[in-house]
Amino acid sequence: MIEFNQDKQDTIPSSLVKIIGLGGAGANMLDRIALDGMEGAEMLALNADIRTLGGSVASDRIQLGRNLTKGLGTGGDPDLGQKVMLEAEKEVRAAIKGRKIVFLCVGLGGGTGSGGAPILTRIAREEGAFCVVFATMPFHFEGLRRREQAESSLNELAVLSNALVVFDNNRMGELVLAKQGIHEAFSAGDRMISDSIKAVIRLVIRPGLIHVGLDELMTALRTTRSRCLFGSGLASGKDRAAKALANALSSPLLDKGALLKEAVSVLVHICGGDDLTLYEIELLMQKLMKYVPAKAHVLFGAAIDSQMKDSLSITLISALPEEKLQVSSEEDTEQKREIMEPSVGFGFEEEEPEPEMELLQIASAFDAFEEVTTPATAQIEEWIDVQPTATEEDRPFAEAEEEVEDELKDFSAVVAPPVSSISPAVSEAAKDLREALQTSTEAAQAAVPDLGDLLSSNRPKLGQKDLLFEEGNRGRFSKTEQTLVDGDDLDVPPFLRNKKK
Amino acid sequence: MARAKIHVGLEIGTSKICVLVGEVKVDGSIKILGLGTSKSVGVRKGEICDFVDIKACIRDALVKAEDTSDVEIGSVYLSISGGHICGVNNTGTYRLPDNEKQIRREHLDEAIEIAKNVDISPEHEYLHHILRSYRVDGFEHTSSPVGLFGKTLEVDFHVISGIRTRMQNCIKCVREMHLDIDDIAFAPIATAQFALDRAARERGALLIDIGGGTTDYALYLAGSLVASGCIPVGGEHITNDIHLLTGLPFSKAETIKIKEGDVSGEQSRSVGVIKIMDEKGFSQQEIKRETLNEVIRQRLLETLQLVYKRLPPGSIELIGTGVFLSGGTSSMRGLSELTHQIFGRDIYRAQAAEISGVQANFKDPQFATAIGLIRYAQLADIEKQNKPRGFFGRFWPFGK
Repeated sequence: MIEFNQDKQDTIPSSLVKIIGLGGAGANMLDRIALDGMEGAEMLALNADIRTLGGSVASDRIQLGRNLTKGLGTGGDPDLGQKVMLEAEKEVRAAIKGRKIVFLCVGLGGGTGSGGAPILTRIAREEGAFCVVFATMPFHFEGLRRREQAESSLNELAVLSNALVVFDNNRMGELVLAKQGIHEAFSAGDRMISDSIKAVIRLVIRPGLIHVGLDELMTALRTTRSRCLFGSGLASGKDRAAKALANALSSPLLDKGALLKEAVSVLVHICGGDDLTLYEIELLMQKLMKYVPAKAHVLFGAAIDSQMKDSLSITLISALPEEKLQVSSEEDTEQKREIMEPSVGFGFEEEEPEPEMELLQIASAFDAFEEVTTPATAQIEEWIDVQPTATEEDRPFAEAEEEVEDELKDFSAVVAPPVSSISPAVSEAAKDLREALQTSTEAAQAAVPDLGDLLSSNRPKLGQKDLLFEEGNRGRFSKTEQTLVDGDDLDVPPFLRNKKK
Repeated sequence: MARAKIHVGLEIGTSKICVLVGEVKVDGSIKILGLGTSKSVGVRKGEICDFVDIKACIRDALVKAEDTSDVEIGSVYLSISGGHICGVNNTGTYRLPDNEKQIRREHLDEAIEIAKNVDISPEHEYLHHILRSYRVDGFEHTSSPVGLFGKTLEVDFHVISGIRTRMQNCIKCVREMHLDIDDIAFAPIATAQFALDRAARERGALLIDIGGGTTDYALYLAGSLVASGCIPVGGEHITNDIHLLTGLPFSKAETIKIKEGDVSGEQSRSVGVIKIMDEKGFSQQEIKRETLNEVIRQRLLETLQLVYKRLPPGSIELIGTGVFLSGGTSSMRGLSELTHQIFGRDIYRAQAAEISGVQANFKDPQFATAIGLIRYAQLADIEKQNKPRGFFGRFWPFGK
């Protein structure tokens, strides 16, 4: 018999992944990742302090600020951090070249981390890599100054990176008991970051049977200036699905799942060994749905990885706009945006407006000139309503008809260059363009029901109602607090629970 | 001490509320004067979830008890339970200053203070501090070591704590009935006062009180409390299991549980089918006896195994007397066999001899906790008289 080997799981070679630790804290995280064992992925340590760099276990190391600091650290000065990073830009660029995805681990608040991270992120994006930043925020007791440095760096990173996962050191207390030693607290923090990175790598490298990949990851994180909600859990043995979910939800970043209530889209990735069953997935998703709003867009993925053996991992990724987490100073962020204006090819949220849209602008401008706005604006209104990427310039068209004349000035200002460039051939072009507009609006109208479906279809319908006594049925105790022992809900008849095992 | 005293025990259980009036005579014997029970509504897993309903039930039971005993009830001893309550052991060690050789009262107080200071989460409140033993330079003493010579003094305590707000709510509910609370006691501690006599405790005994909503346990070794706790699973769970698996209504499920259930695991007792009749005597539904027994058995098996797991490792082997079962669910057929399979010790039913009164009032294991409360009250009274400062390792967090 001829064996036909087909890889059903469309994998990305792990050599396309680079994990970078920047600064002292970054080096610690990197060491933890290396110690936990991450085969395949390349690691790169970047630091100005030659002693810390020498102690790193990473395979690649680049010293920053060879001439500026001469082997010393940056002494908590972000400006210096920025400079040393720029000095080593060429080397760093060469190291990142050709990588599909870059994970940057950094502790914000100090010099090298706060100053260098935004620049490093920019370099990575310029090299065409998908850049995920894992950043830790300093403790309160480290003082306001460091906090401010960290905040400003974080604001930059939020704009620059593809995804930003923030770990607040102040919440590290939730990971360990109060009386445990400080080294345990720090290593617990590092471990959590390491677990997170591993989970994301697992997700990207092995998109799996039910495919989720970079595109879904982007969808889940597609809100500008957002904090990443992240939880990952790993469990093995009996009832591993429930345990893994509980572990994932216990992540301080999720606030026991409470923060998921606000999420618009959630990426769920389940990875298990060869014995992963459909039933487990069903059970898990059913439980998860208690935490996720019904309207949320659930991006579901599952993968088989024989290295997982009998354990099961679940990864939850979502993003929450920052204002929902905390009130941040708006002017500050606006300013930062200007400063960090993209140089080349980054900021996927602000993709170039679709050519159609340009066409629309011009065409409708002509419409405005010729005062035949009635049908077109109505269509455009619809078009704009369903088009989430509508840019600011289009907004005036959504206004009522009467206001059009007043706003003509605005239009001409906005569309001035294109109009003047085509003015010699106005009449012919106008005709063509109106036709183009007609077809595109028709297409849009045709697309409306589909889009509507997409928006209203809240989540994939899971499983069929075949089991009469599913896990959720607790009869008389359905309204009481769950009594969980070793992941078992004691209110569910043991007769049923034992049968399932 | 010369006068007979009347104490009232109030137990707010998941399935019933029980008010028991007992008289402690001059010679220390107890006579049960009256009993009032009422089916309770609004209690789940030992904790009150509907205050309006439960007050009506308490009122009902109270009136019944007052009627039968001809006593006006003004204050009660209250037993509480719930999955949030747990007990831990703690040791306080105090090393005497170099220039002192004799243990003084201050040293003991210091050691007790250390022992009492268990790390509990902020929402917890101490319920009992129960003294287990004193040790002077590693040598065990059961009575106070004040006056003895030694270098290091150790005091072992069993500290029971629960979530403050939940306990407060329970107390508030009773207070709103215009009843004073003399004292509150963790249910298995109260039950143990009744069910385990001194000899049994001395040789080591485990009390398992399987009630309607909770399973409480208390382990005594060498006369002192070693472990106590509560698993929020009880007879109501069995009824619920039957209801979920067979689709029978709760009342029917309850009836067949009591009438037909058997958990011994013997094949011969699981043969045939049970016919469930409706009110008119027509058979409505049939259940395989095997299925029913297996459902109940697995529930109780799991519950007992949970108790087993929670006891300190190796402590089962030290139990000399055996396992005492009490509570309504302990009437389940075959439970003794099942318990024996798990614990491998002798199984006893909790009953005390030195109580007089109408037998029917205290023979039933359902009333064990309420009777225990009277006994507990008696002991607390003696302690109060002996040690006016309330110093015997029990410090009540709640006012009298």
